[in-house]
Amino acid sequence: MTRSSSLLAHALGAVVRRGRRSVALGGGLAFAVALLAAVLFMTDALRAEAERARAAQPDVVVQRLVGGRPATLHAEDANKIKDIAAVRGVTPRVWGYVFLPSLQGNITVVGARPGAPPISVADGVLAEGRDLTPGAHEMIVGAELAKFLGLRPGDVLGLPSPNPDAPALELVGTFRASLDMFTADVVICDDDDARALLSMPAGEATDLAVSVSNPAETRVVARTIGERIPGARVIERELLARVHHLAYGRRAGLVLAASLPALLALLVLAWDRASGVGPDERREIAVLKACGWSTADVLAVKLAESLIVGAAATALGLLLGYAWVFWLGAPGLRPALVGWSVLYPRAPLTPTVGVSELLGISLAVLGPFALLSVLPAWRASQADPLDVMRG
Amino acid sequence: MTPSARAFVAVALLTSPALLASGLAADASMRRARSREGDRAVATLAARLPSNDLALSGGSRWLRALSLEEPQAAFADGPATPDPDPAGAAVAPPLEVWLRTEAR
Repeated sequence: MTRSSSLLAHALGAVVRRGRRSVALGGGLAFAVALLAAVLFMTDALRAEAERARAAQPDVVVQRLVGGRPATLHAEDANKIKDIAAVRGVTPRVWGYVFLPSLQGNITVVGARPGAPPISVADGVLAEGRDLTPGAHEMIVGAELAKFLGLRPGDVLGLPSPNPDAPALELVGTFRASLDMFTADVVICDDDDARALLSMPAGEATDLAVSVSNPAETRVVARTIGERIPGARVIERELLARVHHLAYGRRAGLVLAASLPALLALLVLAWDRASGVGPDERREIAVLKACGWSTADVLAVKLAESLIVGAAATALGLLLGYAWVFWLGAPGLRPALVGWSVLYPRAPLTPTVGVSELLGISLAVLGPFALLSVLPAWRASQADPLDVMRG
Repeated sequence: MTPSARAFVAVALLTSPALLASGLAADASMRRARSREGDRAVATLAARLPSNDLALSGGSRWLRALSLEEPQAAFADGPATPDPDPAGAAVAPPLEVWLRTEAR
């Protein structure tokens, strides 16, 4: 057996001998790591989920502000944009919210734009049914909304609307449950039906979707649109990533800030346990020194003890954090990070975490932890063994 | 337990974060691969949606399409925070003012 193996065996023996202390220290550390890791895992997963659909969004979205609040704009405003050199196309979009009293919540009504790519069961968008037939007063809804309202394909539903002439819509399809993150509250219908439901006059639109032939010119196009339509709010696609980054980062910050007292209490406990060398441990160090162990050997054993407890606790914490979010669906944490509603997307999140992030968390925890516990051991090893053994 | 076995267990515990990181990263990679199968469906669907915002909503306010509705300030108050409206405030508004208003 080599010297290092002997030292490691001795260190493990010491950890087992002080079992209760090791469990208290390791348990607290594991809980703190699990909470921190779970919040980070979930935040990254939410950002990645939003990012998946970003590429399909228009390069620029134009809205109108009245009194600092979003208002509908004239579809003819599209003509002021079409002739900008880099603009490939401008599409007026009709969408908005309808409050469902039975749900006590809002649903998002979206008008299907002419020329939008068809959707079907075969391409994985629909769970059942088919795409809309223009002019047939049909709708496709999210799986969660259909479930809540008890709708099946073929059912007809009259959604509440300020417009008494708004037609009842027949359900012809539901979105796949795996797309719940985007469709839980969505009703897609014909552009005219959406306009009727939202009571939006003909010739008006919620916003304009602008596609640009050269993405590098988006900034210039956005500035030109701002000059041509006074009062317009121009949103570039590149901004969306930043918005989601900030939004979910802030949510994670809030959750971590709320957990700070618990985390601090655990860290103080860990520091107290790790930095204090009790009389038994002091005596053990003195005996080892008296038996001929060098200070370096004593420090190596103490470092190994800390690392064994810290590494096992960190591994356990990472496992708990990962299992909590991706295997169990983050009960308790999910409402705090993603909000809550009657229509709640239940689709599982996809982890974005890799080896480097996991090892980064481990090192960030283990480094300070090991340092904290070695310093008092070094101080104890400097004392005269005979003085310590005499008490 | 023999010293050799103890040394083996100690090494296993010391390397457990790295071993676990590899295992979890492999699981994450498998889940990402499964999720990528749905990328085409997401792209097709996203072309019909007003934005790529997730269908998440808070109890205090409606921010379904946060990127379009509040692009400059993603969250003026913040989700998962107490409702900023007086009805949900921790400190109640002065009741005597309300009473005076009612009396009028």
